[in-house]
Amino acid sequence: MAFRTKTDYLLWLVVVGLAGWVIPGGGHFLIRQPRRGVIIFLAVSLTFGLGLYVGSIGVIDSIGGWAWYLAQMLATPAVRIFDSMARGDAYPTMGRSCDMGQIYTAVAGLLNLLSILSAVFMAYAGRGELIGREEDDA
Amino acid sequence: MPDLNLIVAAFTSPENIGTTPASMMWMFPLLAAIAAVYKANKLRVLFWNVFIREAGILFLFLGGFMILAIAVMNLVVWLITQ
Repeated sequence: MAFRTKTDYLLWLVVVGLAGWVIPGGGHFLIRQPRRGVIIFLAVSLTFGLGLYVGSIGVIDSIGGWAWYLAQMLATPAVRIFDSMARGDAYPTMGRSCDMGQIYTAVAGLLNLLSILSAVFMAYAGRGELIGREEDDA
Repeated sequence: MPDLNLIVAAFTSPENIGTTPASMMWMFPLLAAIAAVYKANKLRVLFWNVFIREAGILFLFLGGFMILAIAVMNLVVWLITQ
Protein backbone atom coordinates (compact mmCIF):
# COMPACT_ATOMS: atom_id res chain seq x y z
CA MET A 1 0.00 0.00 0.00
CA ALA A 2 1.43 3.38 -1.03
CA PHE A 3 1.14 6.17 1.54
CA ARG A 4 1.13 9.79 0.46
CA THR A 5 2.57 11.17 3.69
CA LYS A 6 4.24 9.92 6.84
CA THR A 7 1.08 10.90 8.72
CA ASP A 8 -0.99 8.53 6.56
CA TYR A 9 1.47 5.78 7.34
CA LEU A 10 1.33 6.39 11.10
CA LEU A 11 -2.46 6.63 10.94
CA TRP A 12 -2.56 3.25 9.19
CA LEU A 13 -0.50 1.70 12.01
CA VAL A 14 -2.88 3.18 14.59
CA VAL A 15 -5.92 1.87 12.67
CA VAL A 16 -4.38 -1.62 12.52
CA GLY A 17 -3.70 -1.54 16.27
CA LEU A 18 -7.19 -0.29 17.11
CA ALA A 19 -8.83 -2.89 14.83
CA GLY A 20 -6.89 -5.60 16.65
CA TRP A 21 -8.11 -4.27 19.98
CA VAL A 22 -11.78 -3.81 19.05
CA ILE A 23 -12.01 -7.26 17.41
CA PRO A 24 -9.26 -9.74 18.29
CA GLY A 25 -7.47 -10.60 15.05
CA GLY A 26 -9.02 -7.61 13.24
CA GLY A 27 -5.64 -5.99 12.68
CA HIS A 28 -4.41 -9.08 10.84
CA PHE A 29 -7.47 -9.00 8.58
CA LEU A 30 -6.64 -5.41 7.63
CA ILE A 31 -3.10 -6.33 6.62
CA ARG A 32 -4.40 -9.27 4.57
CA GLN A 33 -3.41 -12.04 6.96
CA PRO A 34 -6.85 -13.66 7.33
CA ARG A 35 -5.62 -17.03 8.58
CA ARG A 36 -3.76 -15.43 11.46
CA GLY A 37 -6.81 -13.27 12.13
CA VAL A 38 -9.15 -16.27 12.33
CA ILE A 39 -6.83 -18.19 14.66
CA ILE A 40 -6.32 -15.20 16.95
CA PHE A 41 -10.03 -14.35 16.98
CA LEU A 42 -11.04 -17.89 17.92
CA ALA A 43 -8.29 -18.39 20.50
CA VAL A 44 -8.76 -15.05 22.28
CA SER A 45 -12.58 -15.12 22.14
CA LEU A 46 -12.87 -18.71 23.36
CA THR A 47 -10.34 -18.15 26.16
CA PHE A 48 -12.12 -14.98 27.27
CA GLY A 49 -15.55 -16.62 26.98
CA LEU A 50 -14.41 -19.66 28.94
CA GLY A 51 -13.11 -17.35 31.67
CA LEU A 52 -16.48 -15.61 31.89
CA TYR A 53 -18.30 -18.95 31.90
CA VAL A 54 -16.14 -20.38 34.70
CA GLY A 55 -16.08 -17.33 36.95
CA SER A 56 -19.19 -15.43 35.72
CA ILE A 57 -19.01 -11.80 34.60
CA GLY A 58 -18.29 -10.95 38.24
CA VAL A 59 -14.60 -11.61 37.51
CA ILE A 60 -14.54 -8.27 35.70
CA ASP A 61 -14.17 -5.79 38.53
CA SER A 62 -12.46 -2.48 37.82
CA ILE A 63 -12.43 -1.53 41.50
CA GLY A 64 -11.75 -4.69 43.53
CA GLY A 65 -9.60 -6.34 40.88
CA TRP A 66 -8.19 -3.37 38.98
CA ALA A 67 -4.90 -5.07 38.11
CA TRP A 68 -6.77 -7.96 36.48
CA TYR A 69 -9.06 -5.44 34.83
CA LEU A 70 -6.14 -3.74 33.09
CA ALA A 71 -5.18 -7.05 31.45
CA GLN A 72 -8.83 -7.91 30.70
CA MET A 73 -9.34 -4.56 28.95
CA LEU A 74 -6.68 -5.55 26.41
CA ALA A 75 -8.97 -8.30 25.06
CA THR A 76 -11.67 -5.92 23.82
CA PRO A 77 -13.20 -2.57 24.83
CA ALA A 78 -16.48 -4.47 25.43
CA VAL A 79 -15.00 -5.37 28.83
CA ARG A 80 -16.04 -1.87 29.93
CA ILE A 81 -19.69 -2.86 29.29
CA PHE A 82 -19.31 -6.07 31.31
CA ASP A 83 -17.74 -4.05 34.11
CA SER A 84 -20.72 -1.68 34.27
CA MET A 85 -23.09 -4.69 34.27
CA ALA A 86 -21.24 -6.41 37.11
CA ARG A 87 -20.78 -3.29 39.24
CA GLY A 88 -22.04 -3.30 42.82
CA ASP A 89 -21.66 -7.02 43.50
CA ALA A 90 -24.46 -7.83 41.06
CA TYR A 91 -22.78 -11.13 40.21
CA PRO A 92 -20.66 -12.15 43.19
CA THR A 93 -17.91 -14.68 42.57
CA MET A 94 -15.17 -16.00 44.83
CA GLY A 95 -12.79 -18.86 45.46
CA ARG A 96 -11.24 -21.07 42.82
CA SER A 97 -13.81 -20.20 40.17
CA CYS A 98 -13.02 -16.51 40.52
CA ASP A 99 -9.27 -17.17 40.30
CA MET A 100 -9.70 -19.33 37.22
CA GLY A 101 -12.00 -16.82 35.54
CA GLN A 102 -9.59 -13.95 36.22
CA ILE A 103 -6.61 -15.92 34.93
CA TYR A 104 -8.43 -16.96 31.74
CA THR A 105 -9.78 -13.49 30.93
CA ALA A 106 -6.50 -11.73 31.79
CA VAL A 107 -4.42 -14.16 29.72
CA ALA A 108 -6.85 -13.65 26.81
CA GLY A 109 -6.16 -9.91 27.08
CA LEU A 110 -2.40 -10.40 27.18
CA LEU A 111 -2.54 -12.74 24.18
CA ASN A 112 -4.48 -10.05 22.32
CA LEU A 113 -1.81 -7.48 23.25
CA LEU A 114 0.79 -9.79 21.70
CA SER A 115 -1.37 -10.06 18.57
CA ILE A 116 -1.90 -6.28 18.36
CA LEU A 117 1.84 -5.65 18.57
CA SER A 118 2.45 -8.37 15.99
CA ALA A 119 -0.13 -6.88 13.57
CA VAL A 120 1.28 -3.36 13.98
CA PHE A 121 4.82 -4.61 13.40
CA MET A 122 3.74 -6.54 10.30
CA ALA A 123 2.01 -3.42 8.99
CA TYR A 124 5.13 -1.37 9.78
CA ALA A 125 7.37 -3.85 7.97
CA GLY A 126 4.96 -4.21 5.04
CA ARG A 127 4.73 -7.96 5.56
CA GLY A 128 0.99 -7.98 4.99
CA GLU A 129 1.56 -7.01 1.38
CA LEU A 130 4.24 -9.58 0.65
CA ILE A 131 3.12 -12.59 2.62
CA GLY A 132 -0.60 -11.92 2.26
CA ARG A 133 -0.46 -12.86 -1.42
CA GLU A 134 1.75 -15.81 -0.67
CA GLU A 135 -0.81 -17.11 1.82
CA ASP A 136 -3.62 -16.73 -0.67
CA ASP A 137 -1.71 -18.77 -3.23
CA ALA A 138 -1.07 -21.62 -0.79
CA MET B 1 -35.43 -16.84 23.04
CA PRO B 2 -35.60 -19.08 26.13
CA ASP B 3 -32.47 -20.86 24.86
CA LEU B 4 -30.64 -17.57 24.52
CA ASN B 5 -31.65 -16.64 28.05
CA LEU B 6 -30.23 -19.91 29.33
CA ILE B 7 -26.96 -19.30 27.53
CA VAL B 8 -26.69 -15.78 28.96
CA ALA B 9 -27.62 -17.08 32.41
CA ALA B 10 -24.66 -19.51 32.26
CA PHE B 11 -22.35 -16.48 32.38
CA THR B 12 -23.92 -14.98 35.48
CA SER B 13 -23.09 -17.65 38.05
CA PRO B 14 -19.67 -19.21 38.64
CA GLU B 15 -18.95 -22.87 38.02
CA ASN B 16 -17.89 -25.05 40.92
CA ILE B 17 -14.18 -25.84 40.74
CA GLY B 18 -12.79 -27.78 43.66
CA THR B 19 -9.24 -28.01 44.94
CA THR B 20 -8.78 -31.52 43.62
CA PRO B 21 -5.92 -32.75 41.42
CA ALA B 22 -8.45 -33.01 38.57
CA SER B 23 -8.90 -29.23 38.64
CA MET B 24 -5.37 -28.94 37.22
CA MET B 25 -6.89 -30.08 33.92
CA TRP B 26 -8.14 -26.50 33.54
CA MET B 27 -4.64 -25.47 32.51
CA PHE B 28 -4.83 -27.35 29.21
CA PRO B 29 -7.33 -25.08 27.37
CA LEU B 30 -5.22 -22.11 28.42
CA LEU B 31 -2.01 -23.75 27.18
CA ALA B 32 -3.71 -24.59 23.88
CA ALA B 33 -4.74 -20.94 23.41
CA ILE B 34 -1.25 -19.70 24.28
CA ALA B 35 0.35 -22.15 21.83
CA ALA B 36 -2.09 -21.26 19.03
CA VAL B 37 -1.76 -17.47 19.39
CA TYR B 38 2.01 -17.60 19.81
CA LYS B 39 2.50 -19.71 16.71
CA ALA B 40 -0.04 -17.68 14.70
CA ASN B 41 2.10 -14.61 15.36
CA LYS B 42 5.48 -16.28 15.21
CA LEU B 43 5.35 -18.23 11.93
CA ARG B 44 6.67 -16.13 9.07
CA VAL B 45 4.40 -17.78 6.50
CA LEU B 46 1.30 -19.49 7.84
CA PHE B 47 0.40 -22.80 6.26
CA TRP B 48 -2.26 -24.83 8.06
CA ASN B 49 -0.31 -28.08 8.26
CA VAL B 50 2.83 -26.36 9.57
CA PHE B 51 0.80 -24.28 12.01
CA ILE B 52 -1.03 -27.31 13.45
CA ARG B 53 2.22 -29.25 13.83
CA GLU B 54 4.15 -26.37 15.42
CA ALA B 55 1.30 -25.39 17.76
CA GLY B 56 0.80 -29.05 18.75
CA ILE B 57 4.48 -29.47 19.58
CA LEU B 58 4.48 -26.27 21.64
CA PHE B 59 1.30 -27.37 23.45
CA LEU B 60 2.85 -30.75 24.31
CA PHE B 61 6.07 -29.08 25.44
CA LEU B 62 4.23 -26.60 27.68
CA GLY B 63 1.95 -29.33 29.05
CA GLY B 64 4.89 -31.62 29.75
CA PHE B 65 6.79 -28.84 31.52
CA MET B 66 3.77 -28.01 33.68
CA ILE B 67 3.24 -31.68 34.62
CA LEU B 68 6.94 -31.96 35.48
CA ALA B 69 6.73 -28.80 37.61
CA ILE B 70 3.68 -30.20 39.43
CA ALA B 71 5.48 -33.48 40.10
CA VAL B 72 8.64 -31.75 41.38
CA MET B 73 6.68 -29.41 43.67
CA ASN B 74 4.65 -32.31 45.05
CA LEU B 75 7.89 -34.20 45.68
CA VAL B 76 9.43 -31.23 47.48
CA VAL B 77 6.34 -30.85 49.69
CA TRP B 78 6.31 -34.57 50.39
CA LEU B 79 10.01 -34.49 51.40
CA ILE B 80 9.51 -31.45 53.64
CA THR B 81 6.47 -32.90 55.40
CA GLN B 82 8.04 -36.33 56.00
